[in-house]
Amino acid sequence: MTKAKKVTIKNLSKIYPGQNGKQVIAVNHVSLDINPGELVTLLGPSGCGKTTILRMVAGFEIPTHGDIYIGEDRVNSLTPDKRDTAMVFQSYALFPHLNIYDNIAYGLKIKKFSKEEIKNKVNAILELVGLTGMENRAPNQLSGGQQQRVALARALVMEPGVLLFDEPLSNLDAKLRVYMRNEIHKIQRKVGITSIYVTHDQSEAMSLSDRVIIMHAGNIEQIGTPHEIYMKPASEFVADFIGIANIVPATVVESKQGAITVKIFGKDFSTDYDKELAVGQNCKAVLRPEAVQIGVTGEVEAKVTSSIFMGESQDYVVDVGGTKLQVKEYNPGSKQVFAAGETAFLTLDKRALHVLQSAKA
Amino acid sequence: MDDKRAVKRESTLALKWDEMQKIIRDPILLGTIILVIIALFLFIVWPLYAVLAQSFFTDQGIPTLQYYKETLSHSENITVLANTIGLGLFVSFFATAIGFLFAYAQAFLKIPFKKAFNIVSILPIVSPPFALAMSFIMLFGQQGFVSKVILGIKNANVYGFAGLATVQILTFFPVAYLVLTGLLRQIDPSLEEAARNLGASRWQTFRTVLLPLITPGIANSFLLVFIQTVADFGNPMVIGGNFNTMAAQVYLQAMGNYDIKGGTALATVLLTISILMFVLQKYWVGNKSYVTLTGKPSRVRELVNDKASLVIIGIPCLLISLFIIVLYGLIPLGSFVNLWGIDYTFTLRHYKYIWELGVKPIMDTTELSLIAMPITGVLGMIIAFLIVRKKFVGRGVIEFTSLLSLAIPGTVIGMGYVLAYNEPPLVLTGTGIIIVLSFIFRSMPVGIRAGVASLQQIDPAIEEAAQDLGANSFKVFHSVTIPLIKSAFFSGLIYSFVRSMTAVSAVIFLVSANVNLLTVAIMSHVDAGRLGVAAAYSTVLIAIVLVVVGILTLLLSRIGVKVSDMQG
Repeated sequence: MTKAKKVTIKNLSKIYPGQNGKQVIAVNHVSLDINPGELVTLLGPSGCGKTTILRMVAGFEIPTHGDIYIGEDRVNSLTPDKRDTAMVFQSYALFPHLNIYDNIAYGLKIKKFSKEEIKNKVNAILELVGLTGMENRAPNQLSGGQQQRVALARALVMEPGVLLFDEPLSNLDAKLRVYMRNEIHKIQRKVGITSIYVTHDQSEAMSLSDRVIIMHAGNIEQIGTPHEIYMKPASEFVADFIGIANIVPATVVESKQGAITVKIFGKDFSTDYDKELAVGQNCKAVLRPEAVQIGVTGEVEAKVTSSIFMGESQDYVVDVGGTKLQVKEYNPGSKQVFAAGETAFLTLDKRALHVLQSAKA
Repeated sequence: MDDKRAVKRESTLALKWDEMQKIIRDPILLGTIILVIIALFLFIVWPLYAVLAQSFFTDQGIPTLQYYKETLSHSENITVLANTIGLGLFVSFFATAIGFLFAYAQAFLKIPFKKAFNIVSILPIVSPPFALAMSFIMLFGQQGFVSKVILGIKNANVYGFAGLATVQILTFFPVAYLVLTGLLRQIDPSLEEAARNLGASRWQTFRTVLLPLITPGIANSFLLVFIQTVADFGNPMVIGGNFNTMAAQVYLQAMGNYDIKGGTALATVLLTISILMFVLQKYWVGNKSYVTLTGKPSRVRELVNDKASLVIIGIPCLLISLFIIVLYGLIPLGSFVNLWGIDYTFTLRHYKYIWELGVKPIMDTTELSLIAMPITGVLGMIIAFLIVRKKFVGRGVIEFTSLLSLAIPGTVIGMGYVLAYNEPPLVLTGTGIIIVLSFIFRSMPVGIRAGVASLQQIDPAIEEAAQDLGANSFKVFHSVTIPLIKSAFFSGLIYSFVRSMTAVSAVIFLVSANVNLLTVAIMSHVDAGRLGVAAAYSTVLIAIVLVVVGILTLLLSRIGVKVSDMQG
């Protein structure tokens, strides 16, 4: 399968006519390049427009503005059946009246492959997803995870230029979700197919993606590798959406190429930074709970207001001069544990400190 | 990513245009929609327009209200109008009440012989619409078994309001019964348990919980029965006597008095009443249901088993069922009796008479019904598909028009067909085609409703998946949609056949020397007092319906299709 295609989205918008003449802007001037063979996740809360983008690429929705290219071809005017895409649906959408074999063979039959070719392809894909021997079962005789694999196989067997995933794991229980996530990752890497993956589950996005696109209210908030979006969030929304973030007020003390010093809680902290900010400017800093250490000595004095034992970690909420901070100490058995009401000292991991340029909500 | 330009507001029209493009870029879909619109226009809208045009214009094309003035100044016609509305209200009230009792007994009571209720609700569908009127004449008429033989009354008169109203109540209460049973079954028993738990007695629970929950359903049943009563043609013709109703009067005025203009004026008045009730039913009452359609009760209901309910509700229902089954039983019985009321010896002479003189209506009716059946089935599913799955300008019109023919009285549309297809561009009068067309468009709404209901249960993603895998609209429809709603599809087929076989009100205008139909033949024999022949014809009709439906159901169960319940 060497025909992975790139996908180019140019200035794409989708507006729905809403109730009482109010219009709903589902997607707002989004531009995006997806490289051949890449797996890109569209991640965001519900209603952020991620599924709408996916459905426009598949052809189920018509863009209000903008263009979609698959490979070199502009596909705006093509119906879904004419597009080189295959989709894995959230509800799986298996044909209940066809057995597993016929479900997977459905698209191949339409493309008029010979019986022999269809058989070979279906058998190969069944082996790939680990469902050999299930050919004659009806969809409702399979478990959720198996149905999920049939849905994946039915899309993969078409060898599409682009594979589309619409929250494919959201109907599975937690453990199976992790397992299938790894399966999808393995298979996608193996066949090297261009994939767009819509999810609201950040751990899915982090573990699967080459790049993650964070969406919010129809706009792209940030595009980056999982590492970038976690460590260097572009906005308060991204910082807050991905993982748990303490967002604290800071003031720029010094800013030069590649580094910045900010004052937080009356103390100066330096970290890497790729932009220059005016000295004295107010900004915000992102501190991940696990990047703050708590102990009997440290840089900042804090009062513990809540202390909860979670097994793998001890989760604190501490108060520093009126600002609440969440702190997570892993492996609490080997450390001193503070109780609510006690005084402790915090140490900040400078490499995990990130300065936000704009103080946008 | 700070280049968040605000998208400028688009005109709603432009946004709708986006949706339209989905249709336009798909030639198969677009073509289908256009064909459906043309068909609905040609065979529902145009005939109705022809009726209106006749009534509002002179033959020279000058607009006038003259025909309304003339027609409505006849005191006779005013009486007919009052009769129709009065009868409609009376019958709807009692039919809904009896329907409710039956539904309550079916859904909540633990009584034996409940299957009888289903038989009672199927019988009116599979027999000629005026079957009970015939039975009533055989029991209570001048030569009636009860009136003459048992009670010894000479010249008993069953014709008129009392006989007609009773017959209509017994014919139409199953409509209310089916609607209300469906609703009662969906009520979660824990609601009543909650009321009892909070201290309400059983009667208080019924009054404060159950009754409010199904009030919209009761109103709905009332209107549905009203629409059918007002449109009923066969019973008033057979047993109405001097008590005339609009549906029959339209026919008598146009065909009996050769007053087409006056007939169309009456037809327009009747149509207005029916459409008003239909709109009320569909858009006002229809939206008021508290009982969610998808919500299934959390668990199985514990059926009520106390003596009082059994005696007050259960026994009357069983007695009524028994009475109705006996009434229908009289028809085959009557066909084997030499001369009803005078000579009760066994004979086959009525069948011999049919065999020698009247096989043609039997063959014609069966043939035309069989031709209409597959067309109705497929068209119904296509329209259901368009209504549920596609967004396009005109969808509301398609839905309204196609379901409207449920409400249009048969005599009105029958007259419309005569007027519309009597002259070019479409000359169909006197042909079998015109009858097939009337069969199709009269019975389609039921298939559409079944199709809509079952499509709404099916995840649209399944059809999207098929399209995504390369299937065009036609392929999606026949390889995915139809197999998924096959049960509704086949129900639509069967219903179409049954309804066509038993139709009378519209086709009475359309029969000719070339094509005669069973129901029309039966009516003329009743009219001529040949009850034995009429009964024999009716028996043959019911037998054909049962045999064809039986064969179809058997074939379908072989291939694993369960035909869902038919609802009139």
